[in-house]
Amino acid sequence: MTGHPESDVLAEFQAGLVTGRRRASIASHLAACDRCAGLSDQLGEIPALLAAAPALAMPDDVARRLDLVLAAEAAKRDSSERTVDDSPAHPPASPEPRRRWDFRLVTQRILVPAAAVVVLAAGGFGLSRVTGSSSSSSAASGSAAAPAPSVQPASGTAAARSGATRGSPAIVAPHNFPVVNSGTNYLRATLRQQLETELRQHTESAAGPHVLASGSLKGCVQRVTQGTIPGTLVLVERAHFQGQPAIVIVAASGVHDTAWVTASGCSASSDHVLATATLPGTSAP
Amino acid sequence: MPAPVPISGPISGGEGPSDTELLRRHVAGDSDAFGELFRRHRDRLWAVALRTVCDPEEAADALQDAMISAFRRAGDFRGDSAVTTWLHRIVVNACLDRLRRRAVRPVTSAGDEQALEALLAHNPDPAGATDTRLDIDAALRMLPAPQRAALVVVDMLGFSVDDAAAILDTSPGTIKSRCARARARLLPYVAHLRGNRSATERVSPAQGGDT
Repeated sequence: MTGHPESDVLAEFQAGLVTGRRRASIASHLAACDRCAGLSDQLGEIPALLAAAPALAMPDDVARRLDLVLAAEAAKRDSSERTVDDSPAHPPASPEPRRRWDFRLVTQRILVPAAAVVVLAAGGFGLSRVTGSSSSSSAASGSAAAPAPSVQPASGTAAARSGATRGSPAIVAPHNFPVVNSGTNYLRATLRQQLETELRQHTESAAGPHVLASGSLKGCVQRVTQGTIPGTLVLVERAHFQGQPAIVIVAASGVHDTAWVTASGCSASSDHVLATATLPGTSAP
Repeated sequence: MPAPVPISGPISGGEGPSDTELLRRHVAGDSDAFGELFRRHRDRLWAVALRTVCDPEEAADALQDAMISAFRRAGDFRGDSAVTTWLHRIVVNACLDRLRRRAVRPVTSAGDEQALEALLAHNPDPAGATDTRLDIDAALRMLPAPQRAALVVVDMLGFSVDDAAAILDTSPGTIKSRCARARARLLPYVAHLRGNRSATERVSPAQGGDT
């Protein structure tokens, strides 16, 4: 070796990166050269000097900001899990109390998607409940001993009426359908024309106040429609017939709709069919 | 990685759930677990971020990127390294990404070294403990980012070479080489760093870049 090794060579030597003859040469130089030995000692001090550097504490504002960012992440994850937890097929296994976070300082960019998830979840929630109950309705009637007709909302009216059922709690299987309270007074002579008008209105819009069918009305529908060929329920309406409170039931089967008018006391155990009518199908074009 | 993190710190108290347990709870859906893990290590993570990017705002941004990433990718943690190693890896990589994207600090240049000399000249009492941190950080700023990151992780934070290699996604040999070159570059300032000017004469700074 001629001359003194460069400082980076000394550092590599210390780190064990120099091997073989070169290593032996540097080692013998260090033993003979006070200057290079001194530099080598200084190099060896550096790790300890750096390790002794005062610790840095995270500034409070940075700590607060990161706490909020992580809180927003946690809230976002919770809300996206909730859309899964609350679907009927996945009941919450172990409901845990959700931590409430202070969102006030979190930026809009983080908050907005989280809020959107919640709103979408609420919308999907209502729709899935309607869909779920109508499919369980057909499953229940299919497994019944009696040849009960399948009773389901027709697709067009179901979609129009789901707005009224959304948000209504306690939808009970097997039969769920909205009931129209129309106030119409049907007359025997004009029943068919009146029903056609009524059905047209209901396929165009969800006009009129809706309530969910009571237990006795469900039984009534099942009893009245029993024995007919399976179809889908198009309309259940509380109205009047010849001036007396009555229930109008319309079911689509094949190319025709069938309408029944019963007295208002109709239930699963008794019915009093006042009139029937056959209408051209409204659900089939 | 073979060796556990050989550092003492807020972790070593042994109180509360382990880091691994906190991470497991987080993955299982615990809303608070990751925040607790972060609070436990935040000062060290802040130190590595600040000393890697040399700018408080960049450090905060990098740390935010890193913590969001760690929050979301926690399920990928396989336990083949310590949780702290994993966290530091994510933070250091977020910092280096930022440095690459924005070139916040130019790598070593004559201008930087002159700036450092000027800084030292303005400090008539290098033995004053109050300025020690400033001096070390100023010295670190002269290093190319990869060397600086290696030196911060190994010498300042005390990670083993193997853990540092995992953190910086490179080989142990590269870590050793980067640290050696970084130490050689700091050699002219050792005396100042330890508050003694007497030994600084005749030492020429190492030349050459990163490995």
